[in-house]
Amino acid sequence: MDTPMSHSEYEELAAGYVLGALEPDDEHVFQQHLSGCSVCEANVRELEAVVGGLAYAAPPVDPPDTLWAGIRREIRPEAARRTSIPAAAPGPPSGAGLRRPRLLPALAAAAAILLVVVLSLWNLNLRDQNAVYRDRVAALERATQLANDPSASLVTLNDQPGTTGAQATVIASSRQDRGVLLVENLPPLQRNRVYELWGVPGGKIDKAEKALVFVPLRRQGTQALQFEVPIQPGTVFAITEEPGPDGSEKPTSQPLLVGAPRTA
Amino acid sequence: MRGKAYRGLRDGQLVELVAQKDAGALEALYERYGRPAYSLARRILTDETLAQDVVQEVFLSLWRDARRFDAGRGTVATYLLSMTHHRAVDVVRREENLRRWRTSDEGLELEPDPKARVEDEVEASERRTEVRAALAELPAAQREALLLAYFGGYTQREVAALVGVPLGTVKTRMAAGMRKMKEALQDAGREEQHPWTRQ
Repeated sequence: MDTPMSHSEYEELAAGYVLGALEPDDEHVFQQHLSGCSVCEANVRELEAVVGGLAYAAPPVDPPDTLWAGIRREIRPEAARRTSIPAAAPGPPSGAGLRRPRLLPALAAAAAILLVVVLSLWNLNLRDQNAVYRDRVAALERATQLANDPSASLVTLNDQPGTTGAQATVIASSRQDRGVLLVENLPPLQRNRVYELWGVPGGKIDKAEKALVFVPLRRQGTQALQFEVPIQPGTVFAITEEPGPDGSEKPTSQPLLVGAPRTA
Repeated sequence: MRGKAYRGLRDGQLVELVAQKDAGALEALYERYGRPAYSLARRILTDETLAQDVVQEVFLSLWRDARRFDAGRGTVATYLLSMTHHRAVDVVRREENLRRWRTSDEGLELEPDPKARVEDEVEASERRTEVRAALAELPAAQREALLLAYFGGYTQREVAALVGVPLGTVKTRMAAGMRKMKEALQDAGREEQHPWTRQ
């Protein structure tokens, strides 16, 4: 580009520039011009919006589930340290909100207990611990945050005959379709067996949806685990023993622990 | 179903939350733009794994440095899709053997998508129809130049060689095609007001 270009020639280059199709020498010339030309700068902004729209001409393809799973895996360590559901965000109406007045004291108490637990864990200098501990902290932070969610409900799971001493509580948000399971004293499992938490709409076992697959802690203590599952008013939670490592799509054994939300 | 609490938020608000390392906000943006971004990457790269890598890197880039997004320069949608395009083109230029699409219209359906899912974002579906209609209105030579550059990742000189016309002709065709696209989309009244460009 030895000869000076007219402005109309620069305008012509703008299209190739936003498409990323200029040759290196043209791109260099145009970038230099762009930094001092408000007309071309405005034109480029408008053309960039057009180029953004061209993406929609591609045949639509659903991304595989593994794509978001990969992103989530990468961001999890940082996300665990900072999670904020906007309290004022509008959400769809939820019948679960009807339970709010009676549950508030329980939820506040749960939040206080969880805060103590989180602080205790913090004192153990968890920043230097492994990913298992980070996940637990994330679950506890999630539980604390859910306790402040007006759509959240606290469900105590009662042990069935044969599981003496097992205790479990679910804090579940119907607005977010997610929750946290706090569980302790579940019996140890045989090899290649797992526990599975289910969300059971209306208590109808044939409608059960997988919420979480886990194995109990080897040592004493409360296990805190996050899960995601559709949650409606009246969703019952149940824990069954299932074949590992991935559990089952539907329950294949009698529940060890079952809990239903309180009804008005 | 995920992240109900974020659905009422505008894109710009979600980016602000992402800057504060709010994973739910990133997930909400992914739910809005993950599909068009992945569709674009698949169209350019044709390879599922490479397309996944590109889209993952786009969203991780937003996660790592959301402050780079400048609302004054354009919409969140444009930002994410432009980044997807740039990265996919970078990959395709490194992987010459991926350039299977010798004609730019191949693999594109310029009619409205008959398989659009009911649950597909209404805005995206409308946008797709609108952009395809605008492309279909272009003279074939201009459309070919635009699509070879955009989906094929070809430079203007490469387009000229592929089509068999002088470089200057390609520059003119691209400029005319982009100008007509801009006018068509503005005529549709969507450039500023369309929901998918919400900030």
